[in-house]
Amino acid sequence: MRAIDHHAWTNRWRDWHPVEKGLPAIGLLTLTLILPPLTTAPLVLAGVMLTTVYGAGIPWKTLLSVLAAPATFLLAGIPFLAISIDFTSGFALTFSPEGFQLALQTMIRALAAMSCLAFLILTMPLTDGVLLLRRMGVPAGIIELILLIYRLIFVFAERALTGRQAQAGRLGYSRLDRSVRSLGLLGGNLFQRALEQARRLEMGLMARGYTGELRVLTPRWKLSWMRLAVGVAGVSLTGLASSWLARGLL
Amino acid sequence: MNEPLLAVRDLEYVYPGGVAALRGLDLRIEQGRKLAILGSNGSGKTTLLLHLNGLCKPTRGEIRLEGQPVSYDHRALNDWRRRVGLILQEPDDQLFAATVSQDVSFGPLNLGLSNADARERVREALEALRILHLADRATHTLSFGQKKRVAIAGVLAMRPEILVLDEPTAGLDSHGVTHLLGALEQLHEAGATLVFSTHDVELAYAWADDVAVFHDGVVLRQGETVAMLSDRELLRRARLRCPLLLEVAEALGVEVSAASPFRSREALLVLLQERCAGQG
Ligand SMILES: Nc1ncnc2c1ncn2[C@@H]1O[C@H](COP(=O)(O)OP(=O)(O)O)[C@@H](O)[C@H]1O
Ligand SMILES: [Mg+2]
Repeated sequence: MRAIDHHAWTNRWRDWHPVEKGLPAIGLLTLTLILPPLTTAPLVLAGVMLTTVYGAGIPWKTLLSVLAAPATFLLAGIPFLAISIDFTSGFALTFSPEGFQLALQTMIRALAAMSCLAFLILTMPLTDGVLLLRRMGVPAGIIELILLIYRLIFVFAERALTGRQAQAGRLGYSRLDRSVRSLGLLGGNLFQRALEQARRLEMGLMARGYTGELRVLTPRWKLSWMRLAVGVAGVSLTGLASSWLARGLL
Repeated sequence: MNEPLLAVRDLEYVYPGGVAALRGLDLRIEQGRKLAILGSNGSGKTTLLLHLNGLCKPTRGEIRLEGQPVSYDHRALNDWRRRVGLILQEPDDQLFAATVSQDVSFGPLNLGLSNADARERVREALEALRILHLADRATHTLSFGQKKRVAIAGVLAMRPEILVLDEPTAGLDSHGVTHLLGALEQLHEAGATLVFSTHDVELAYAWADDVAVFHDGVVLRQGETVAMLSDRELLRRARLRCPLLLEVAEALGVEVSAASPFRSREALLVLLQERCAGQG
């Protein structure tokens, strides 16, 4: 979470207009979902990963670790699709080629789709994405809430970490039963402090004229038609190449 | 005597739990001066500051802004809070937006300024605290000292006449303190009236024009810094120590007064060198 957030705020494309990143990513995601997966998904996966690493400057390690979790789940699922259990004559496990094909398709398609999302979360801070939502007409109250929660998550994460360290320093995690107890205490304590924090934050905001609305300046992005055009061209080319490949193979 | 900019009379405040944090105190905030509210931990400093811009409503007593008793209706409060800017001790209690410039823009937008004007105010406030380079940083990636400066900028962007700071140097390293005091000194020279709370007698001695010695919910005495801090009996009652520089000056037989202050370590070193040269 910390690493993702760090790169989202500091990557090479940080200052680009969210649309320049969002439109191609969503375009590729759509292609992945509607075109035949065996030709489209590998193209999308490779294209997005190379763009993320060599374009936006995200390290391979971070990108792969973001993709690793869903990939593990997908891998674990393959056997269930590729192997069928037959109860007609007692009990038999049979390998089904169609099942395997389906499993492979599902896996590569899901992975390609994940890579599009990974690109977005690694190159665009949550706050930019949310502002994009605002321009799409999501009510201001919901946007304010999301942004406030985003900010508070980090405040509480810090508290939780120092609290845990303080407990560990007094051997609160030296045995399983103590760990359970310590975690419970920490949780209860954090909840109380969250309420206290909310009360004081409200005072801090009132001191600056808060009357129930959290209005702030939105960043002034400049949409680069050039970059947008390149992105859209990339998506179109991927779509064309994949259709062409599909015709050749099938 | 002139009417002070902000005057507090017979202020009493009892927390809902029954703790009497302020017990009938008087305070004067004079135009263009630096006032330290000096008291030990738990003496009620934070509670007092929350009254100075109407965040707490006193149980008893009166607050006057330029001679006019304040009122607590919505419009009066807004005007009051625009004129008296309060900076809380913990910057995380004040910063809520994702980026620095967004957070600083909150106050100006609440004043009803246009986006362009608000943007200008943000730039001006960040520049005053010398943190323009942090404008597009994510709030949660800042160091404590940087957060503290952003919190001050957020209030400064509303151009208050009085800047009230709760323990401004708490938690900062010595470099952070120097940086912060430098920026505040500049604001003061530009005409801002400063009020800050502290438990640090050295800080109050080095930096304040006036000191209000605070103990257990009352101001024991308020007056010019040297006069207050060389009053041993007063300091003893407030459970505070005499500042080191003043003790040294006394031991060396140096006359210290408001007119001839002896306030910095540089002044001390110069004096010691003179004395040593005289003996040698
Ligand atoms: N929210 C609160 N509820 C009840 N009592 C409080 C609250 N905040 C502070 N107090 C009490 O009021 C007294 C003064 O506190 P405070 O103003 O924070 O002092 P200082 O800032 O000088 O350390 C203390 O005894 C403290 O326990
Ligand atoms: Mg305090």
